[in-house]
Amino acid sequence: MSVIALLGSVEIGLVYALVAFGVYLSFRVLNFPDLTVDGSFPLGAAVAATLITKGVDPFIASFAAVLAGAAAGLVTAVLNLRFGILHLLASILTMTALYTVSLRVMGGPNVPLLMVDTVLTPFQGFGMPDYWMKPILFAVITVLVALLLARYLNSESGLALRATGSNPRMARANGISTDAATYLGMGLSNGLVALAGALFAQANGFADATMGIGTIVIGLAAVIIGETLLPARSVLWMLLACLAGSVMYRLAIGFALNADVLGLTASDLNLMTALLVGLALILPRLKREAASRRAKRTQTARPTAASPTAGDKP
Amino acid sequence: MIRCSDLHLTFNRGAPTERLALRGVTLDIPAGEFVTVIGSNGAGKSTLLNALAGDYQPESGAITIDEQDVTAWPSHRRAGLVARVFQDPLAGTCGDMTVEENLALAAGRGNRRGFGLALDAGRRDRFRDTLRDLGLGLENRLGAQMGLLSGGQRQSVSLLMAALQPSRILLLDEHTAALDPKTAAMVMGLTDRIVRDQKLTTLMVTHSMRHALDHGDRTIMLHEGRIVLDIAGDKRKGLTVQDLLDQFARVRNEALDDDKLLLG
Ligand SMILES: Nc1ncnc2c1ncn2[C@@H]1O[C@H](COP(=O)(O)OP(=O)(O)OP(=O)(O)O)[C@@H](O)[C@H]1O
Ligand SMILES: [Mg+2]
Repeated sequence: MSVIALLGSVEIGLVYALVAFGVYLSFRVLNFPDLTVDGSFPLGAAVAATLITKGVDPFIASFAAVLAGAAAGLVTAVLNLRFGILHLLASILTMTALYTVSLRVMGGPNVPLLMVDTVLTPFQGFGMPDYWMKPILFAVITVLVALLLARYLNSESGLALRATGSNPRMARANGISTDAATYLGMGLSNGLVALAGALFAQANGFADATMGIGTIVIGLAAVIIGETLLPARSVLWMLLACLAGSVMYRLAIGFALNADVLGLTASDLNLMTALLVGLALILPRLKREAASRRAKRTQTARPTAASPTAGDKP
Repeated sequence: MIRCSDLHLTFNRGAPTERLALRGVTLDIPAGEFVTVIGSNGAGKSTLLNALAGDYQPESGAITIDEQDVTAWPSHRRAGLVARVFQDPLAGTCGDMTVEENLALAAGRGNRRGFGLALDAGRRDRFRDTLRDLGLGLENRLGAQMGLLSGGQRQSVSLLMAALQPSRILLLDEHTAALDPKTAAMVMGLTDRIVRDQKLTTLMVTHSMRHALDHGDRTIMLHEGRIVLDIAGDKRKGLTVQDLLDQFARVRNEALDDDKLLLG
């Protein structure tokens, strides 16, 4: 794997770290399995790219993308909270609708971003090649977002958000409107994912309606890899673990695609991701089962400590 | 002060599993009174407390707390007036957050939650002092995950959390039922102290006739969604556990199955 390819993997991993933060917020903090992500990622790309080609300042365009993503998250939350649609189904409905929305925003299946200023333009021309500048810039952005997000999750309002996902009844008994907290968290989550989409489009020079396929699984993979390799307690460390997980996932994929003996091509990416996530979910369970079998064999009288709840969350 | 007028509440209305949980509960509790609530399983005790807290909406009747009609308020809005401790020690706290984070959550009850840090040195000191009063050594475990504490420790912290912010009424639903006798006695002592110090209007559900008579100023008995006994003052002072059990039996109009009741 060449240095350029390696840096390219790191760069994409860093962009998708924002997706991982969003997925961490919905799946882990709010306990809201949200698949809207597959739609809010291309939506963010579509909004940013379209506005930029229309001559809007790229920073304003990226901010508009965040707002569009947040709105998508709110739609899912409304379907679930106000109309009682199961969260998975509510998010699938939004995701499906967003495909059309992205096509409409772009006025076609894709928008090229060539010869236009992007958020990357001000950082070009410092004598640093793009393949170094982009990962460094994205590293700064994602670490900054992680710091801000951790600071928020440790605020009074952030604590309310975490309590809403952890024990909604207790949250309400302590005066927290769990509905309001869920709206906020879902908006924030999908806003981050849309930001990732906007940055991805600007770094790669295009937005495409199909670029969202599998986003949720990639985000989950990053979260799970992060949690497994760097088990952490504090919120900031959890977020940094997600970040590291996202980069490691990209590197693993990059190496697998580069290893000629495996004969894999880019089109095998989704299957590989699904296998990776599936494995990460299955392995801890198999390990527990093996442990409890061993415990049973050695000491039949003693009750085993297999936790029935540990496998609930994906 | 709490006033319930003619509360009716039905679960699974119209379904074959329909349950009339409250059938016209009228109750007037003056400010500062400590009422113990007894009654057999399924009598509607938890439902009454849940209706007061706003978890369930009665289909008729009204609830007034401190002259404010709160009948239509959702539970999070009532939280400024109502503090509560659940029977299940896991229900009152967040297991995957730290002890100090749980306390910070409770310290925000009834206030607007902004973007300021939930924990600072001043708050930690305050929490440490409160925890030291418990005498469980928890003042050294502020940063521990709540889920790592024992049930008794968690329940004690839940009670502290309920008392951390001023409120008007305190709702305790068998909050010592899951605890061993020694911890239960400690938590009951703490309960008495908090109720006295903060002059809280309190409803405490218990299956222990002894607790029902030894604590508080007044005892009510629920049966099939109605208040069937309401005693206070001198009449209550002379009452023994046996008297109460006899009342219980008379109400249920059947022989008493001793092992269904904890004589505690
Ligand atoms: N969420 C619910 N859905 C349906 N039925 C319910 C629900 N909660 C309570 N009930 C029913 O309402 C009736 C009253 O229940 P409640 O929990 O108030 O009893 P309780 O007096 O607290 O009993 P216990 O001493 O066992 O705690 C019971 O018949 C119960 O089955
Ligand atoms: Mg009950």
